[in-house]
Amino acid sequence: MANFDVLKETAWCPGCGNFGIINALKEALEGLDMEKHKVLYVSGIGQAGKVPHYIEGNVLNTLHGRTLPTATGAKLANSDLAVFAIGGDGDGYAEGGNHFLHATRKNVDITYIVHDNRVFGLTKGQASPTTDPGMVTGTTPEGVVNAAFNPLAVAITNDTGFVARSYAGDRKHLVKTLQAAIQHKGFSFVDVLQPCVTFNKINTYQWYRERVYDLNEEDFDPTNRTAAWERSFEWGDRIPIGIFYQVERPVLRADDKALAKGPLVQRDLDPHIVDSVLDKYRVNP
Amino acid sequence: MSTFSIKIGGEAGQGLVSVGNILLQAIAKEGWHLFAHQDYESRIRGGHNFFQIRVADRPLYTWEGQSDVLVALDKATITNHRDELKDGGVILYDPGLVGETYEGEEFVAVPFVQTTEDEGQPKVMANAVACGAIWAFLSEDIEVLGDVLEAMFADKGEDIVAGNRQVSKVGYQKASEAAERLPKPVKPKEKKPVLLMKGNDALPSGALAAGVSFMSAYPMTPSTGVTEFIAGNQAACGVVMEQAEDEIAAINMAIGAAYTGVRAMTATSGGGFALMTEALGLAGSAEIPVVVINAQRPGPSTGLPTRTEQGDLLYTVATGSGDFPKAVLAPGDIEEAFELMGTAFNLAERYQMPVMVLSDQHLADAHRTVEPFDLDAVTIDRGKVVTGDAANDSGYKRYAYSEDGISPRLYPGSGEALAVSAGDEHDEEGHLIEDAETRTKQMDKRMKKMEAVAEEALAPVFFGDDDAEVTLVSFGSTKGALREAVELLQSQEVRARGVHVRQVFPMAPEIADAFDGSGKTYVVESSFTGQFERLLAAEFAVKPAGHVRRYDGRPLNAEYILEHLEGGRYRG
Repeated sequence: MANFDVLKETAWCPGCGNFGIINALKEALEGLDMEKHKVLYVSGIGQAGKVPHYIEGNVLNTLHGRTLPTATGAKLANSDLAVFAIGGDGDGYAEGGNHFLHATRKNVDITYIVHDNRVFGLTKGQASPTTDPGMVTGTTPEGVVNAAFNPLAVAITNDTGFVARSYAGDRKHLVKTLQAAIQHKGFSFVDVLQPCVTFNKINTYQWYRERVYDLNEEDFDPTNRTAAWERSFEWGDRIPIGIFYQVERPVLRADDKALAKGPLVQRDLDPHIVDSVLDKYRVNP
Repeated sequence: MSTFSIKIGGEAGQGLVSVGNILLQAIAKEGWHLFAHQDYESRIRGGHNFFQIRVADRPLYTWEGQSDVLVALDKATITNHRDELKDGGVILYDPGLVGETYEGEEFVAVPFVQTTEDEGQPKVMANAVACGAIWAFLSEDIEVLGDVLEAMFADKGEDIVAGNRQVSKVGYQKASEAAERLPKPVKPKEKKPVLLMKGNDALPSGALAAGVSFMSAYPMTPSTGVTEFIAGNQAACGVVMEQAEDEIAAINMAIGAAYTGVRAMTATSGGGFALMTEALGLAGSAEIPVVVINAQRPGPSTGLPTRTEQGDLLYTVATGSGDFPKAVLAPGDIEEAFELMGTAFNLAERYQMPVMVLSDQHLADAHRTVEPFDLDAVTIDRGKVVTGDAANDSGYKRYAYSEDGISPRLYPGSGEALAVSAGDEHDEEGHLIEDAETRTKQMDKRMKKMEAVAEEALAPVFFGDDDAEVTLVSFGSTKGALREAVELLQSQEVRARGVHVRQVFPMAPEIADAFDGSGKTYVVESSFTGQFERLLAAEFAVKPAGHVRRYDGRPLNAEYILEHLEGGRYRG
């Protein structure tokens, strides 16, 4: 079984939620017997974007906000790779907002993990789309006024086939959720609630401990889209984690004629492939 | 040097493009050489548009301002273009569509629409009537046109085919008398096999021949033709064309795909290219090959979406923040559009960098008859790729130092070794660093590649006389106008030379030769500030004697160049 070594020396603060996530990721990958060289992490910019530099696998640490299109292109070109898109809430929901909106519609078979600490960490504490109204930050000195972005609701609205939320402070739940996401065929979205010990003094470990509960342990049907959507608005005294919505949908280009012979990366390149294409343009052949 | 030109004008939605395309097929079938271009507005219905076809017994590279036959499907065609008619030329028009009748010998009324009614056929066949009428000026043989109509409408059933053929004959007859006023264009002695294409057919054909496997794009005029061409050939060629939600997604999808080891591209125009610049820097920093077509149109901003200009030159050459290896090619015609896509992919993969291909609306949409492409001449060079045992080497470093600055590239998953890449500054292993020494070494390594890129920069193409009195220098689609301008000058006993630049970054040193010699050199281009002139000055410290610049959204041609060169001195 492959060992996904994790680097001890990181750029993260002691107590950072990223440690919980990276260790859960390691456990999830090893538990599924995945092979290091068959894994590709596509990460963005931010503290979360550093994850792939600290865990073994192939890495493309791309631009802020652009993990989803990059991961989509990689997966379409080589479906033999297990492709992960990894980034924070600023990366994914602010800069990457438009890509989130559309990647959740395309059922490309990748796993998207968002380290949602509800603040911008690397740039030192500005509000992110998921920052709760009222929080004072460097760019919102009077407190955030915008409604918090609800990524789960957006994904469910777009009929994303796997929509889940987990918590960096609950190792078991996170490992289980990541494994379910990896095994799900199609776009799998996991928003991971994560304390930021340095810049988010509201959503702390203590705060989450008092609120987080597993909705899959209740009478909840994850195939019911309306119920999932409504539940995604539950926030405050009780915060549900778990699989909100899961359905089978045709995987993007699973039956694509262009991919019938195998992944694009294995194509033989022959200029004469355009002979028949050019026939349409021939006159007096 | 006489050639025959037909100009067909009308509103969008009237079918003038259909008429144009039918005629192109028939003209090519009869063995003529042709150059056709279109002028259209950014709309689906209405406005004023035209389709212009130039015909000769020898290859043509640009258009002429005057027409032998002007065909009006609307009144604006007459108002706007009647003064462009050659002496003795004919204006064919449908009085019903145009809304009035005209006095004057040049006016020949042919009721395209009424004819369909008289013949008991659907009104949409008015196009075929118009084709027939125009064909009378070209050929003695109406059946050739009928055969083209048959081929085009074969899938619509026998009745439609027969109807089109019938009404085209009636149109032909109605114009026959007037057609006798003009000599028919001379045909070449032999009919050769040709390809009838426009730039937006040649560019994607070249990409497919070069092995492109992935394209992602967001539609933007005038690049959309490339995107749809590839989209239509996915199954046939084993290619994936994924529509992206925006241009940022388009370029990043292509980079993601390229990272896994496939030839990947995108295509856009100036406004979309603007959105791609950060990612082009990523490709430069992370050393990921990708090819981007920037099909220019007039700016600034949204500009004139359906027209042509060359005003993106400087910002394409300087794209992305910081310094990184790149190349920019500028095909001048259909043949180069095909060939240089292959060159672009080879450069991109050999040097692991982004390569831009500058096209424009004129190149994209102008048709020519060209010799069939030699597919055996297409070479595919994937550069330094890690294979065999090296792909299992746990010590593999994606950005390992080397003499030429190129590190062997591992396709992730092809072996047990791991490929780690980043846009942030990184060390040999691909992990993030900030120290001055590693930063300097990695920058030196990447930019070392540019030495070799520069060495293989494509030499310019020279036309005409050495030791010229007048030298014209241009890049990209101006090639055709340049070539014929040189011929026009030579026909006036002026020693003339044309220098066509097909790679604008880095530029081959021979380009500076254009400014040597005892004669005068002029830079010809389509931009207000003369961006190519500025680039030449920056690179070679040269200053031309003058310039010709067009920035009204219309394409250059030989006549325009001579009209504006040295205040019209060579007008002839």
